[in-house]
Amino acid sequence: MIKDLMDIAGRAVRPFKRRAYGRTFVCPVCHLELAFADVDGNGLAVCPVCGAVISLEAPYGHAVPVVVDMEINRAQPKLRLHPMASHLPVGLFPVACLGAGVLLVASLLAPAAWPTALIERATLLVLALAVGLSPLTIAAGVSDWRRRYGGRPYRIIRLKLAFSACFVVLGGLAVALHASGAVFSPATGLIAAASPLELLAAVAYFATLAVNLVVVGTLGHVGGNLVFGR
Amino acid sequence: MIDFSFSPAQQGLREQAKAFTEEWVAPNAARHDRTGEFPKEICREAFRRGFMNTSVPKEYGGRGLAVLDHCLVTEEICTGCSGIGTAIDGNGLSQAPVILAGTPEQKARFLAPMTEELMFSAYAVTEPEAGSDVARVKTTAVKVGSDYVLNGVKWWITNGSVASWYFVLARVEDRQTGFIVPADSAGVVRGPKEINLGQHASNTVRVTFEDVKVPEAFRLGAEGDGFKIAMETFNHTRPGIAAGANGITKAALNIALSYAKRRRTFDKKLISNQGISFKLAEMMTKLDAARFLAYKAAWLIDNGTDNAREASEAKWFASDVAMEAAIACAQILGGYGYTNEMPAEKLVRDAKIYQIYEGASEIQKMIVVAKLMRTKVVE
Repeated sequence: MIKDLMDIAGRAVRPFKRRAYGRTFVCPVCHLELAFADVDGNGLAVCPVCGAVISLEAPYGHAVPVVVDMEINRAQPKLRLHPMASHLPVGLFPVACLGAGVLLVASLLAPAAWPTALIERATLLVLALAVGLSPLTIAAGVSDWRRRYGGRPYRIIRLKLAFSACFVVLGGLAVALHASGAVFSPATGLIAAASPLELLAAVAYFATLAVNLVVVGTLGHVGGNLVFGR
Repeated sequence: MIDFSFSPAQQGLREQAKAFTEEWVAPNAARHDRTGEFPKEICREAFRRGFMNTSVPKEYGGRGLAVLDHCLVTEEICTGCSGIGTAIDGNGLSQAPVILAGTPEQKARFLAPMTEELMFSAYAVTEPEAGSDVARVKTTAVKVGSDYVLNGVKWWITNGSVASWYFVLARVEDRQTGFIVPADSAGVVRGPKEINLGQHASNTVRVTFEDVKVPEAFRLGAEGDGFKIAMETFNHTRPGIAAGANGITKAALNIALSYAKRRRTFDKKLISNQGISFKLAEMMTKLDAARFLAYKAAWLIDNGTDNAREASEAKWFASDVAMEAAIACAQILGGYGYTNEMPAEKLVRDAKIYQIYEGASEIQKMIVVAKLMRTKVVE
């Protein structure tokens, strides 16, 4: 069942991945998927995870990576801030989504007994923390990339940066919508939807959260690959 | 005088097939090998580019390519992935009996639609108890009115799950007879995909026929012609099988060469070691020999000459060379030849089937010997 779901997800993501990465090959040491575009002018690519220096050729379309050297004793991040900081948005954002989901259910079923006002305040706080701390995470990541990976323009790093920017923009929009009071009534914590504009705001808010949940999930997955390989 | 050069048209065909291989086949080979997913999209692109149904005559909408031309295409595609190559080429094996023995109506009904949209067909001869010994097939066809009723089990049927029709060899009393059986006939039951050693992209299944009614109009030739049709088919298709095996050899050689020229050991390139370079020399030489056998067998049948011996020689020799080359490639790559992150180990798994399907290597040698027994002096 889980394997089937992963297969379906893999198939859905494949065209997008092809556009983002182009043709790929696999590091034969740590199995990280690298892009042909990661190969430099000398025909070499350095695996960001394991440090394998790979010479790449593709006779008849078969990727044949040859490990010609290993980069060992690579520069380590000074504070290891990025791995720690990245857990804030990746961990907090789903919690905020959960809170928003509870409020949506409460609004639909209207159970008066639920402490919706409190949940609404807590959700906004968690959401603001997740989004507000993400620039710090990004800055720490860029610093690590420069120090540990020599600032090499890996497709995987570019993908992370693009998704991070997307997370900040969409997250900022969600925080603004939430804080404006257009989505949830400040008094009850339930979805307002008193006017078409408020209804539109609510739809935009939940759509933004849903998209950003995919974005943050992808960021976590890609970041995990970059640390542990595949 | 012998001319070993390709015509400009053949050269163009090879280059087109190579471009298709590099763009579509090789980059997706590992994924299909891992997932076992049938490469329908790749087949669709092959169909669009005219690499499927190559033998269907022009009057039925096909390209009507010669067997030699087909060999050139197959070698290129199988250099990328022989599993995907088998999926693409599977139609050819089942179409051959219809091309050889079908009536114009049968050809118009079953071949022409395959040139208009992507469709598959399958050659259903092998049975659980009858592989190399085709004469043992037990599937029965009983004449009831103007229909035949088929009962039996066919096994290891390539493209069996996706086929629109099957060429089926069955017994009418004691006479082996060929039939075209539409896959949507009541009583046709397709089994699950077999998990094979290699060629995971290829769809191999069991097909069961339970009281399947087949109109007399779908019988190929006369009752009792089936065995002859099935065997004659192989004279046309075995050069292509040899070409597919040559594709594996070519892939193995290219991968090993690319690796050996870049990998360094003992402060020199791997290829500088004679133990490695001689392996490459042997692979190249044997590939040339296997190619010439395949091309000659194809050329003979294209010129209307009996090629049964040459087709068998080509098939078993190319299969053995592919197996040797794949193992040599894995050896040259060392540990990297044993991991599934590199293409060498897949070649080893894929190559093995060439020594088995469409007549095991031992059967090919039996055919060669049978021909020799009727020969006084080999000239």
